[in-house]
Amino acid sequence: MLHLMKYDVKVKLHNFNMLFWPLVFPLVLATFFYFAFGRMEEADFETVPVVIVEEADSAEADAFTEFLKSIEADDTKLITVKKMDEKEAQKALEEKKAAGIFYAGDEPSLTVRGVGLEESILQSLLESYENGRQTMENIAASHPEGIQNAVKQMENYEELVSQVSLGGRTTNGNAQFFYALIAMACMYGCFIGFGSALTLQANLTALAARRCVTPTHKLKLILSEMLTSFGIHFINVIILLLYLKFVLKLEFDGQMPQMLLVSFVGCMIGVSMGIFISSSSKRGEGIKIAILLGISMVCSFLAGLMNSGMKDVVERNCPIINRINPAALISDAFYCINVYDDPLRFRRSLMTLVIMSAVLTIGSFLVIRRERYDNI
Amino acid sequence: MIKIENLVKRYGNLVALDHLNLEIEEGEIFGLLGPNGSGKTTAISCMLALLKYDKGKVTIFGEEMKPDSYKIKQQIGIVLQNVAVFDELTVYENIDYFCGLYVKEKAKRKKLVEEAVQFVGLEEYIKMRPKKLSGGLLRRLNIACGIAHRPRLIIMDEPTVAVDPQSRNRILEGIKELNRQGSTIIYTSHYMEEVEQICTRIAIMDHGRSIASGTKEELKSMIKTGETVTIEAVAIEEAQIREIRQLPHVFDVRYDEQVLTVRCTGAKHNLIRILNYLQENAVSFGRVFSELPTLNDVFLEITGTELRD
Repeated sequence: MLHLMKYDVKVKLHNFNMLFWPLVFPLVLATFFYFAFGRMEEADFETVPVVIVEEADSAEADAFTEFLKSIEADDTKLITVKKMDEKEAQKALEEKKAAGIFYAGDEPSLTVRGVGLEESILQSLLESYENGRQTMENIAASHPEGIQNAVKQMENYEELVSQVSLGGRTTNGNAQFFYALIAMACMYGCFIGFGSALTLQANLTALAARRCVTPTHKLKLILSEMLTSFGIHFINVIILLLYLKFVLKLEFDGQMPQMLLVSFVGCMIGVSMGIFISSSSKRGEGIKIAILLGISMVCSFLAGLMNSGMKDVVERNCPIINRINPAALISDAFYCINVYDDPLRFRRSLMTLVIMSAVLTIGSFLVIRRERYDNI
Repeated sequence: MIKIENLVKRYGNLVALDHLNLEIEEGEIFGLLGPNGSGKTTAISCMLALLKYDKGKVTIFGEEMKPDSYKIKQQIGIVLQNVAVFDELTVYENIDYFCGLYVKEKAKRKKLVEEAVQFVGLEEYIKMRPKKLSGGLLRRLNIACGIAHRPRLIIMDEPTVAVDPQSRNRILEGIKELNRQGSTIIYTSHYMEEVEQICTRIAIMDHGRSIASGTKEELKSMIKTGETVTIEAVAIEEAQIREIRQLPHVFDVRYDEQVLTVRCTGAKHNLIRILNYLQENAVSFGRVFSELPTLNDVFLEITGTELRD
């Protein structure tokens, strides 16, 4: 058995395809994620210069001007406001000395010089003011007696809501990407499993045929392939976790042993899925790779790899998918450890994963062990 | 040693093996000769229990061969048509890996692997990976992986496909040497020259059946052809061809693209008689060949098609 395992490990470590997808690709993707939005909280926004042009001498115009000045005075230093006439304002906009012009008239409006973050901020400010004004008008129409209180509240407006998880830890929307990424890496163990099946089933390769006519028991061959595949892929995922934690410095609040446990079960799912799909179908190698890639990518997508809100969308519309999608279960287990502090949900996700990988592993054993071939 | 009885294998409507019967004795180099698609590889796969068959029985060393006949498998070595080695392992590691599937004892295995390396002449390449080897060296590695454990029975399925003449000769000599050392060999090929060169007994296969079997001499004696005379001749008329066909001992005459092929039964002076006729009738001719019957002639006479078709 050790003889088999020694060479199985050697073969896998020297096989570029077996290492690229399960190890290199997730590391590269993690690096891209990190530079794309992993450090978004640290981004340093510069104060946006803005010009105000008073078009009318009315109460509405005065209120809007006051609103902008109060934003300017805020500690966040979101904008700086300068009063100008129309001509000066246009010149400042052209010379890029201002990101936009607010027109304070009966109906406040905004002119910007292009599309970007600064312009979006100015647009948001205008929308925020419009919403506030609309609210006041509604209150005045329906509850005129409360208008004084409403004005007071608006003047004391401040950010009262901060996003905090049930477990008391701050939720970071970007963390979802990285949990889905780890889930994807676990799922990519299917490529190692696929490679193993190729050397086990005589109808797939000549190499497998040669192994099948030796006196070494088929179960030994299967066991050696599975153990080495699980082992190697588990190390792949540990490398990814270490890279995320120590190189990209991502915060994982949960305990490492629990994270490793989830990763281990995730690896079992990935590898056994690869072996099962490869061995249970007589389709060509290319088609099987496409199937494996398709399944792992769709599962990862639904788990929030490309869009952090996707898992919530699935939860609202078809929650059963989140209960059986291995990538969603893996990422959910990570969330339970790091964010929710919900041991019950964690155990449920983990148990589902264990059952799924056990079914796939036993299925693979049965398919490969009993197989005799219709064509070689 | 090996008995194949009434073996039938169908792929849908296609009958790959049609009641195949073979018996192979210990110590033989048994050749399975037939064109591509004649059922040689299917027969080997059924023999090794790699392939389900519809009917029949395969007995090896007196026991029925099944997928879990590990005792029988222990004594068999196979060299498949397609090279079956790990690209990721070196030459030495590949041989060691496959030998290790048969021989557990490390010291014994080391000795066997070294002997196998020496046997196929790969001493200089033991640290190289298969992708760096030429086609011939790769075939030799393929053979070494199949024979390192010193099997009692070696099954070789077209081991010389796409091999240069030098490597081919080395491989064929190696097979004879393995036989001398005590292994029984089953050798499949569609190259009749190879089979004639090394095999002690031959079965000719076509459409999944064994159409003839015996030693090469026995096979050749089964047919009418004793000599084939081939002459490059210009403008022979149809009437002249009919007259040649009437010459003593001639039983088949063909004239195609200015090449006259005359098949005669085994008798003396066939060539002289034909050349005399051409001279007397003022037929110009160039090169002349006279050949004794080959296995191709055997195949041709029995099936009506060339072995190389």
